[in-house]
Amino acid sequence: MKKELLIKEKQAKRTNPLAHVFDDFIDFCQSKSLFMLHYCTGCGAIELPPAMTSRFDMERLGIQPMVTPRQADILLVTGYVSVKTLKRVILTYEQMQAPKYVIGICSCTVNGGMYWQSYATAKKLNDYMPVDVYIAGCMPRPEAVLEGLQRLKENIKNDRKQQKGSAWKEYFANYDTYLGNQQHLFGDDWQTPVDIIAEAKLYGLEGEGTYGKNTEKLAKVQQPLLPQEMKL
Amino acid sequence: MNGLHILSELLLMPLIAFVVGLMMVLMMRKISARIQRRIGPPFFQPIYDIVKLYGKDTQISHGLIHDIGIIMAVGGYIGAEILLPVPGMEGIADKGGIITLSYFLMIPSLGMALGVGQCANPNGSIGISRALTSMLAYDVPFIIVVFGAAWHYQSTSLVGMIEYQQMNSWGIVEMPFLATAGLFALQGMLGKQPFEIYIAPAEIATGPMVEMSGKYMGGLFVMQTFQLYTAGVLYASLFLGGGESWLSLLPKAFLVVAIPMSIAFMFPRYKTEDVIRILWKWPVMLALIGLAFIL
Repeated sequence: MKKELLIKEKQAKRTNPLAHVFDDFIDFCQSKSLFMLHYCTGCGAIELPPAMTSRFDMERLGIQPMVTPRQADILLVTGYVSVKTLKRVILTYEQMQAPKYVIGICSCTVNGGMYWQSYATAKKLNDYMPVDVYIAGCMPRPEAVLEGLQRLKENIKNDRKQQKGSAWKEYFANYDTYLGNQQHLFGDDWQTPVDIIAEAKLYGLEGEGTYGKNTEKLAKVQQPLLPQEMKL
Repeated sequence: MNGLHILSELLLMPLIAFVVGLMMVLMMRKISARIQRRIGPPFFQPIYDIVKLYGKDTQISHGLIHDIGIIMAVGGYIGAEILLPVPGMEGIADKGGIITLSYFLMIPSLGMALGVGQCANPNGSIGISRALTSMLAYDVPFIIVVFGAAWHYQSTSLVGMIEYQQMNSWGIVEMPFLATAGLFALQGMLGKQPFEIYIAPAEIATGPMVEMSGKYMGGLFVMQTFQLYTAGVLYASLFLGGGESWLSLLPKAFLVVAIPMSIAFMFPRYKTEDVIRILWKWPVMLALIGLAFIL
């Protein structure tokens, strides 16, 4: 534990006088170039094609669609998230490489929307993963989608000054809370292929809430990840 | 020519290739945007993309071979750049010649195959097997074209070929069939529709790139800039008379790269076996007819 804290302090201390110039440049580039993975869970997905194609043209803002979570920066969740879908959304989110951002489109991701009384729907996306920007509406028009993306770009650019665009750090720092909510829905034997705690240790992203009673529960049931058996 | 002079050329040639390649990437994205009646990305977008990918906070590696594969993919093209003579700089082009260059152009695909193999993603494996299959398909007309050009100019050195064309007339005038076959092969080499089998975003999730994140993806973006530059300048030196100066070389290279992108959106995507069939039939036939004329 001590050793890891030392690593963390080392990372925080920047001796190079030009370090902040590079940091600002990378922040600027990150805000200008966003690869987007759209997880089309509901009706909001229908507003994305006009936002991408000739009418509103997302590419002029530096945003373009990508097809795998490894390459993507933004995860767009466009609509209601059922319990079964939520598992996949979490798997996808955890495979993305930081800095990663989540945008919840439609009222359904904000508070369940018209599925408020449904037993099979997760109500608040924010309980299961840190959401950067919500775009409310049923459904939001492409103008609203672009407005939300512009807001996200502003947040990323001012990240180091205002600590707005780094919601992804929350997932590592408060993993216990998020894991607890996930276990509440999926049962106590819930486990994902990505070892978030090990990742938090490696990159020095641990916080007060990384460990807790829920992660202890996970450690009991966690199976080591083995390569899948090859068979035809 | 002293050692320092050659050393500076070896550094400068890949650097120029990178900058020109960035502009070619921008041009291709602008062309596709204009064809779809969009505005397209801003001027510095290719740089933003690469800096962002290298600046990712977490990077996932699948092992040593994954890292080496990417280095091979970029390094193969850097090796190709110093064998490609440009105005004012020859590098080691007179030592290598076009046969060495053709070998260098295969290294990136093999490097990607190594790297993707360790990712163990089924989409990646399908993608790379398709990439190598399509390499097999476009390399047959490409090698016939290279052989024909070398026979016609009576030289395997690109420097000699450019000199010949500048004294007499351009290769495209003297060997129209071979030049057309070369354009065909170029479409396959750049992986544009209808030969886009190994990228296929909606089908196998960008194939070889499926597990690439952060700096690995950045490496592939850098590789793409070199790939476009190499294709454009090589075709211009073989058939369009190279260039006396950068002002005459660059428009030719940009034009050559613009052709595949401009016609790409007219086609759907072929199946793998259809790609082999069409590339082994039409461009090979054209190239053989062209060969018959000059032999």
